[in-house]
Amino acid sequence: MLIPRKVAHRKQHHPKRTGAAKGGTRIAFGEYAIQSLESAYVTNRQIESARIAMTRHIRRGGKVWINIYPDRPLTKKPAETRMGSGKGSPEWWVANVKPGRIMFELSGVAEPVAREAMRRAIHKLPMKCRFVTREGGA
Amino acid sequence: MSEVRIAAEPRTEFGKGGARRTRRAGKVPAVLYGHGQPPRHIALPAHDLLHAFKTDAGTNVLLTLELSGQTELALPKEVQRHPIRGSYEHVDLVLVNRGEHVSVEVALVLIGEADPDTLVDQQVTALSVKADAASLPDRIEVDITGLEAGHGITAAQLELPQGVELEADGELVVVQGLAKRTVAQMEADLGETAEGTEGTAAAPAASA
Repeated sequence: MLIPRKVAHRKQHHPKRTGAAKGGTRIAFGEYAIQSLESAYVTNRQIESARIAMTRHIRRGGKVWINIYPDRPLTKKPAETRMGSGKGSPEWWVANVKPGRIMFELSGVAEPVAREAMRRAIHKLPMKCRFVTREGGA
Repeated sequence: MSEVRIAAEPRTEFGKGGARRTRRAGKVPAVLYGHGQPPRHIALPAHDLLHAFKTDAGTNVLLTLELSGQTELALPKEVQRHPIRGSYEHVDLVLVNRGEHVSVEVALVLIGEADPDTLVDQQVTALSVKADAASLPDRIEVDITGLEAGHGITAAQLELPQGVELEADGELVVVQGLAKRTVAQMEADLGETAEGTEGTAAAPAASA
């Protein structure tokens, strides 16, 4: 699973969820992609789960790119704990995804196969997404 | 090469407020510059621009702008689009003359069928070329027939249309043939991941 090897600050504030993606909104590597339509925190487990769903469906063919990275830690206080006594311990690693962000790319397979593989992957993600194809015929 | 005539009008409002009002009126804010002239701020009809970019040339379409009783030839240099809606938000246009050589990025299109055991990895999707502004190619075809794993096609090996010069590095690998993963490799990858998921689920490990 994707986890940063080293971070400057172990416990961070929650990332901002407002606005749209500033970059990474066009397909850069593959022919097909999953684009987010809402903002969400995507955990490393969800990213891995989506990748596996795609890889299982495309079998031997195709190449998958993951364009997001879960570099923000989220903390959680233990259950039945009184408030105070400092911030909880890191529990999840998430990617802060904004609307418009291309999250996964795929190439080397026919469009119906890619569409189905990505439909399965979208089910593993916590926000509304859509399947997009590269423009310009390439 | 596609050429489209568009009626442009000068823009007097600037900044995000003015730009948003322009977009609400069904127009796209644009700027026209080049040939040592001061930049001119203009507005283009959004619907006509959309149709212009839907021609075979895509965003390399040659635009004939009717602006204040004059006609100007221009090429889109940079196009900004909305991240979700895909609508055109702003266009940078550069003035060109017929016969002038300009540098543009032309889309690469793969044709043919590679070897069945080869995974085609297209490393470059658009190639920088220099050509006459009035006869820019719509696309450059890359023939991958019989491409085998371990082999590639460089930019210098591509057949360019007449009058088109390659501006990118000739050694640039455009398409590469990769060996498809074996079933064992794929299962090993999925198996390792499942184990990794269980192992790291309890506590995130990253040192400060």
